[in-house]
Amino acid sequence: MRSRDSRPRRNGVRNPSAWLVGGLVVLALCGGVAACGDDGSSGGGADATEVRLVTYSSFALPEKAAEQFEKETGAKIRVIASDDSGAMLTKALLSAGSPEGDVIFGIDNTSATQAMSEDLLEPYLGPQTDSLPAGVALGGEAGNHLSPIDRGDVCINVDQSWFSSQSIAPPTTLADLTDPRYRDLLVVESPVTSSPGLAFLIGTVARYGDGWMDYWQKLKDNGVSVRQSWDDAYSTDYTVSGGDRPLVVSYASSPPAEVVFSEGKRTEPASTVMTDSCVSQVEYAGVLTGTDRPKLARKLVDFMQGPEWQAEIPLTNFVFPVVADTPLPEEFQKWAVRAEAPLDIDAETIGSQRDAWIESWRSIME
Amino acid sequence: MAIDHGVRPSADSVSDTGSESARTRPRRGRLAAGIAVGVVVVAIGLPVVAVAIRAAWVDGSIDGEAIGRILSEPRTWRLIAVTVGQAVVSAVITVVIGVPVAWALSRFRFPGRRPLRTLVVVPFVLPSVVVGAAFATVLGPSGPVDLRGTWFAVLAAHLCFNIAVVVRVVGAAVGGLDPGTEDAARTLGCSTLTAARRVVLPAIRPAVMSAAVVVFLFCLASFGVIVILGGGSVTTVEVEIWVRATRQFDLSGAAVLAVIQVVTVVAALALHSHFARRSPVVSGARRVPQRPPRGGFEWSAVAFASVVVLAVAGVPLAALVERSLRVPGGHGLEHWTNLGSVTAGTGLSISPLHAVLTSIATATTAAVIAVVVAVPAASAVARRPGGRADRVLLLPLGVSATTIGLGLLLLVGRPPIDLRGSWWLVPLGQALVAMPLVVRVVAPALASIPKSVPEAASLLGASPRDRWWRVDLPLARPAIGAGAGLALVACLGEFGATAFLTRSDRVTVPVAIERLMSRPGSAGFGQAMALSCILVLLCAGIVALIDHLAADDGFHLGF
Repeated sequence: MRSRDSRPRRNGVRNPSAWLVGGLVVLALCGGVAACGDDGSSGGGADATEVRLVTYSSFALPEKAAEQFEKETGAKIRVIASDDSGAMLTKALLSAGSPEGDVIFGIDNTSATQAMSEDLLEPYLGPQTDSLPAGVALGGEAGNHLSPIDRGDVCINVDQSWFSSQSIAPPTTLADLTDPRYRDLLVVESPVTSSPGLAFLIGTVARYGDGWMDYWQKLKDNGVSVRQSWDDAYSTDYTVSGGDRPLVVSYASSPPAEVVFSEGKRTEPASTVMTDSCVSQVEYAGVLTGTDRPKLARKLVDFMQGPEWQAEIPLTNFVFPVVADTPLPEEFQKWAVRAEAPLDIDAETIGSQRDAWIESWRSIME
Repeated sequence: MAIDHGVRPSADSVSDTGSESARTRPRRGRLAAGIAVGVVVVAIGLPVVAVAIRAAWVDGSIDGEAIGRILSEPRTWRLIAVTVGQAVVSAVITVVIGVPVAWALSRFRFPGRRPLRTLVVVPFVLPSVVVGAAFATVLGPSGPVDLRGTWFAVLAAHLCFNIAVVVRVVGAAVGGLDPGTEDAARTLGCSTLTAARRVVLPAIRPAVMSAAVVVFLFCLASFGVIVILGGGSVTTVEVEIWVRATRQFDLSGAAVLAVIQVVTVVAALALHSHFARRSPVVSGARRVPQRPPRGGFEWSAVAFASVVVLAVAGVPLAALVERSLRVPGGHGLEHWTNLGSVTAGTGLSISPLHAVLTSIATATTAAVIAVVVAVPAASAVARRPGGRADRVLLLPLGVSATTIGLGLLLLVGRPPIDLRGSWWLVPLGQALVAMPLVVRVVAPALASIPKSVPEAASLLGASPRDRWWRVDLPLARPAIGAGAGLALVACLGEFGATAFLTRSDRVTVPVAIERLMSRPGSAGFGQAMALSCILVLLCAGIVALIDHLAADDGFHLGF
C-alpha cells in the first residue's frame, strides 16, 4: 500500500490490463463460435425432430398424448412458454413473420380479433372444426385461422370451507362482491396480462353495460386484489392453495382439480362456483406464419383436436374438451360445472372495444 | 476567478495544452474522433427517431390517435408525476446518506477502506434485476417484513444501487481538495464537524449537485428494480413503456411515452451540464488519504460509513446467497445443481446454464462493439472537457434502455431489415446501452494522462504513427481496459433493452432471472437467486479487477 504513489506505474499496470484486453478478445471469439453453434441448433431453426408449441406458462402438456404424437410423426413437442397469455400473444405479434415457434395455443375468443392483425396465423383449420357449434367455432376472418381446442367457463370460485369456518354466508351474485361484508376477500387477474382476467372484465361489461366502470370502482373500494396471472391468483392467493383470499376468478372446472391434486387428502372439492359470474371462454390453436415446418405444425393442430389429446385435456388443464362425445373423467362428471347461461359478448364488439375497455380498467384500477 | 482556478487547475492547463495539441495534432486524428462522436450519436439517435416516428406515424400516414389518447388520460400525468417524484426522493435520500459516507471514505485512511470502497461500487454495476431480486428476498414474503409492491422497497433498492455514484463522485472531489485548508481551519480552532461543514461542503457542492442529478437520472429511468419489486400501482413511465409494448401490443402508446421520457431526461441533463461546468471533470492528482481518523467524531463518521456500506451493499448480497441455498426442509445445493437442466413450470424453455453462456457470448460481443465505437469518441471528449463533444455525448445517457430496445425493435423488426431472428440483435442493443457509460468512464481517465510524455516523444522525433502506437496507446491502455471491463459488466446485466429483443430460446441471465422470479413459490425462485449469485460473482470480479488495476485511488466516474 505504501508503495502505491501517484507516479504512473506503467510497467506494473500494463501487463495486467493487456491480459484483460486479451482475455476479452478470447472470450469474444468463443462467443462468436458459440453463437454460430447456437444459430445452427436451437436459435434460428429447430431440430428436425421437434415441433415448437408457443403457449403460456401454466399450460400443462398432456404427456401421454405427446408421446403418441411422437410415435406417429417422429417429432417431439417442445413447449415455449411465456408468463401469461397477454405476453404470449404480444410476443407472437411482435415476431410475426419470424416466429419463435410453429403452433400457438392459448388465443381465446376475447383476443381472437387481435390475433388477426399482423398476419400472425396461417389460414388452416383442424378437421373437427366444421362439426363444432357456432358459439365455439369463430365466424369471420378469425374463423379461418383458429381451431377450437378446449372450452371452459371463467367463473368465480368460492371457498365454501373458509366461509363456513367463518360462519359467513358466501356471495352468490356479482353484485354481492361489492358488499362490505365481503371486503378484502376477492382476488382477480389483470385483463392486460391474463385471459381469464380479460374474460371476467368482459363478463362485467356484459352484465352492467355502460355502468361497468362504476362496478369496478366499487370493487376497488371493497379491497379487490389484482394479480398478473391466473397462476399467481389461484396458486398463491386463493385460500384453498394456502393464501388469504377465498374468492378467486378461475374456471368452472377448477373444483375437480382440487380433488385430483390433493393426493388423496380430499374426496370432495372445497370450492363451489358462482354461476352468476360465469363467462364463456374457448381456447384456440393456430399455425404461425413463417414457420419452417408447416406440415408438422398442421399435424399438431389436427392432433390437438384428436381423441387422445381431447381426452387428456380435463385432467391436465382443467377445462372441457370441445369435441363432443369425448369421455370425461369421473371427477369432472361429479363436480365440474357447466354454466347454463354464461355471460357473453360477440367477437366483433370485443374486437373493436377491447382496447378501450382495458385502458379504462387501467385508469380505474392502477 | 481565484476560486475557479483553485477548483480547476488542471482544467486550465488541459485546455491550454488542448488547443496547442489541437493545432499540432494531425487533422486525420481530429477527423477520426469527430467521426467516432458522430457514430455514437447516430447509433443511439436512430432508435430514438424510430420511436418518435412511431408515436405519430402508423402504416404510412400521420396518426395522432395515440398521442391524443395517452396525453388525455389522467393516469399518464399521474405516472409522470410519480416517476419524477420517486426520482427526486431517491436522489435526496442517496445524497443525504452518501455525502458523509463519501467524506469518511475519502478523507481518512483506515484498515478496510479499499474493500469498503470496492464493495460500495458493486451494486452499481450489478444488473438492476439482481438488486431487485436481493431486495425481494430481504423485504419480500420470505423475509422479515413484506414490503414488495410498496415504494419503500423500491427506494431502498435505489439507495443501494446509486450510493456508489455519490461516494465515488463526491469522494473524488473530496480527495482532490487540499487537506491543508481543512487542517488550517482546525488549527484556527474549528472542530472537525465545523471544518467539514464550512470548508469541505462549499468546495464540493458542485460535485454533490452533479452527483444528485446523476442519481436522479438513473432513478428516473429505473427499470429492472421496479419490474421486480413493484406491481400494479407501483410503476413508472419506463415500466409502462415496456408493459404497453410487450403486454398490450400498443406500440404507438409506448412510443408516445418513450418520447415523453426522453424529453424529461434531456431536461434533467441540461440541469446536470449546468452544474457539471462548475465541477471538475478531472480534479488534478487525486490524493490517497494519508491520515487515520482521530477523535470521536471522525471515528464515528468512519463507523457510520462502514455500517451504511455493509447494510446497503452487503446485506442484500448475503441474502441472495442464503436464499439460493434454501430448499424445502433446510438448506442445500439443489437449486444450484438444477441450473444445468430445464425445470418444468418455471417459465423457462432453456436451462439456466444455457442462459449464462448466452449472456457471456452476447455481453462480450456487445462490449467489443461498444469499446471500439466509444473509445475514439471518449478521446474527443477528453481533449476538451466541457466542450461540444462532451455536451453532445451527454445526450445518449438520457436515452433509457427501454427506449433503445423499443426503437431497435421498430427499426429492424420489420422487412426489409428484419433482424428479429438474428443473433446480433441483442448484442447490438446492449452495445448501444453501454456506449455512453464507456465514454463517461474512459474520458476522464484519458484526460488525466499527462500530455507532456507524448509531446516529448514528438519533440524527440517520433512519427505520429510511432507516437500513437508506442506512447499514446500504452498510456491509454489502463483507461481502455477499465472502459472495456465496465462495458462488459454493463452488458452482462443489461435488462431494459434486452427485455424487448430477446427470444425464448436465446434468453440472457437478467431476463431469465425476471422470468424465474415471476412465480414466487416455485423452484424457479431459488434458481433465480443462484443465477443472481453467479452474476454477482462475474460482475464483482471484473470490477474488483479494474479497480485494483487503476493507477490511483480507484477508477473515476466522470460525470
